[in-house]
Amino acid sequence: MDFRRDQGLGTRNLIKRLLIANRGEIAVRIIRACREAGIESVAAYSDADERAVHVLAADRAVHLGPAPATDSYLSVRKIIEAARTSGADAIHPGYGFLSENPALAGACAQAGLTFVGPPADVIAKMGSKIGARRLMERAGVPVVPGVTPSDQSDAGIVSAIESVGLPALVKPSSGGGGKGMRAIRALDEAWEAVAAARREALASFGDGTLYVERLVQRPRHVEIQIFADAEGHAVHLFERECSVQRRHQKIIEESPSVAVTPALRARMGEAAVAAARAAGYRNAGTVEFLLEGTGDDAGFYFLEMNTRLQVEHPVTEAVAGVDIVRAQLDVAGGASLPWTQETLVQRGHAIEARVYAEDPANDFLPQAGQILLYREPSGPGVRVDSGITGGSEVTVHYDPLLAKVVAFAESRDAAIARAAAALREYPILGIRTNVAFLGAILAHPSFRAGEISTAFVDERIDELVGADGIPPEVEAAARAYRPRDTTAVDVPTPGPFGHARPEGRAYSAPPDPWTALTGWGR
Amino acid sequence: MGPVMAGDPNVTEISPGEMLLDRDGRRTRVFVAVDGDVRWVFVDGRTYRFEEVRGGGSKRFEGVRRGSGAHGGSLSAPMPATVLRIQTSPGAVVKKGETLLVLEAMKMELPLRAPQDGTIAAVHCSEGQLVQPGVSLVEFTEQ
Repeated sequence: MDFRRDQGLGTRNLIKRLLIANRGEIAVRIIRACREAGIESVAAYSDADERAVHVLAADRAVHLGPAPATDSYLSVRKIIEAARTSGADAIHPGYGFLSENPALAGACAQAGLTFVGPPADVIAKMGSKIGARRLMERAGVPVVPGVTPSDQSDAGIVSAIESVGLPALVKPSSGGGGKGMRAIRALDEAWEAVAAARREALASFGDGTLYVERLVQRPRHVEIQIFADAEGHAVHLFERECSVQRRHQKIIEESPSVAVTPALRARMGEAAVAAARAAGYRNAGTVEFLLEGTGDDAGFYFLEMNTRLQVEHPVTEAVAGVDIVRAQLDVAGGASLPWTQETLVQRGHAIEARVYAEDPANDFLPQAGQILLYREPSGPGVRVDSGITGGSEVTVHYDPLLAKVVAFAESRDAAIARAAAALREYPILGIRTNVAFLGAILAHPSFRAGEISTAFVDERIDELVGADGIPPEVEAAARAYRPRDTTAVDVPTPGPFGHARPEGRAYSAPPDPWTALTGWGR
Repeated sequence: MGPVMAGDPNVTEISPGEMLLDRDGRRTRVFVAVDGDVRWVFVDGRTYRFEEVRGGGSKRFEGVRRGSGAHGGSLSAPMPATVLRIQTSPGAVVKKGETLLVLEAMKMELPLRAPQDGTIAAVHCSEGQLVQPGVSLVEFTEQ
């Protein structure tokens, strides 16, 4: 007897056991959806993630291999093998890793596994920026001015940069997320930038093909969430404004966008649905646009199509009142779209802030180490999707995204205030993070006024990463604090909380997190 | 609940690592974690890192950020990383800003650049090597 039949949604869902080919917060997010859908979840993990949050959260867990992603989360062979040994009948790729690699979707089809995403040929088509651009042009979707160099040598790319004109953008033809992308403002930087972009493209996506386009200056980055099923239904779930970014890595996302009017939203939504139809799309996807100007007459250009679940999907879930991951599982399992365009309504305002293990004061260098103390904020309209907890090791092997704080409220001002208040109650100790930097963005008058573009962070970096003085009470607290384990004599009488045992290693004077990392020593 | 902080009756620990600071009746929640000589403190959305100075018994805020800058004529990795490429050799005369090494961590390339004009005295790493932060990779003589 299939107990999922009693749960309304997903009555036609054929998925019984789902392997999640990912880690961190997104794996945890997908495991939650599995719980609700009555699907058994299988976590996949590398040596570095044996005790990671996503592994402990899943119903089952399969070991993939060594810590480097190429030997674990990026290995199609190992992922398919893990699905076989765990008896999974479907694979959700999450975002990053193999999510936009047609090889995984193709291998799933061959192995008779359901891939939660579009078919391999659609991923391949949209994964090539050159091919996607041509397809969009034919479908009547506006595109960014650019060239597609057929000569892929360094010299060929540099001459393409010259013909497109400066400033130009060089990016990997496969993949996304800002990896390997380089803005070129002067020709003498071009050679080094092209070589670096190609190496990063190879390292991240296993494909060094580069694409050159004109850099539209001070645009907004506005994307449309789309969703399509196997029966030919396709809808959009409104926009997400993702202009607050640094080096093409998104930091804050929100919906609705202050720059988008109802008429513009309708035009962009129609273009996104046209793009989905032209691509033969299935499941959840995102059409990214560059927006020039604001209001009814603003221009927008197709940037790329992300053929996967997006990091910032919770923003859409909040304003549209939907569960995108659940819908992904249902549609992949054979159900038709749970919504029509007419039933979808955008309501209130949602803001997501991405918490990274990085040091804003030190050029945003990624950080590694052990989380010594961790406490998540909560409250009405506050959602935290995270992949860490107290005692977790943040390693250098993977993306430094730790968590996402999503605030939902009736207005933009209220959502900003809610997100800011949540961040003020989010201690993550033992490693440097960008939490204070996120707070500085949310507090900035220009952000509050909605005056944002993709240049917002770069143009105000000194204001956002100011040197902080140390309030005297902070220093006093640091000096006064006596860890109970190590200096028990200093603790007079145990209070009502005096018998609580410290968790993890926070109170037993652990070794320096740098030296605690094994395998690095020399 | 009684105060558990030595020396400050206005600080009350309410759970491991979590304290209430009372200043004239206005309370602030403070989180502290200890890691050897390092103390991490979180107050109102900001994180502070203190390092204990040995001998004096007092704690100071880490004023100088550990970066990819020069420390006494040597360059080191800002974090655990893999040496991707070495673009210099002992005896090389380099210009300020010139890339000497390219490190890789978290799938990102991190160039180590010459902090000023100078000469390379020694290179203490090889390509493909995993390196620790703070360990000298390149010795550098200013001009």
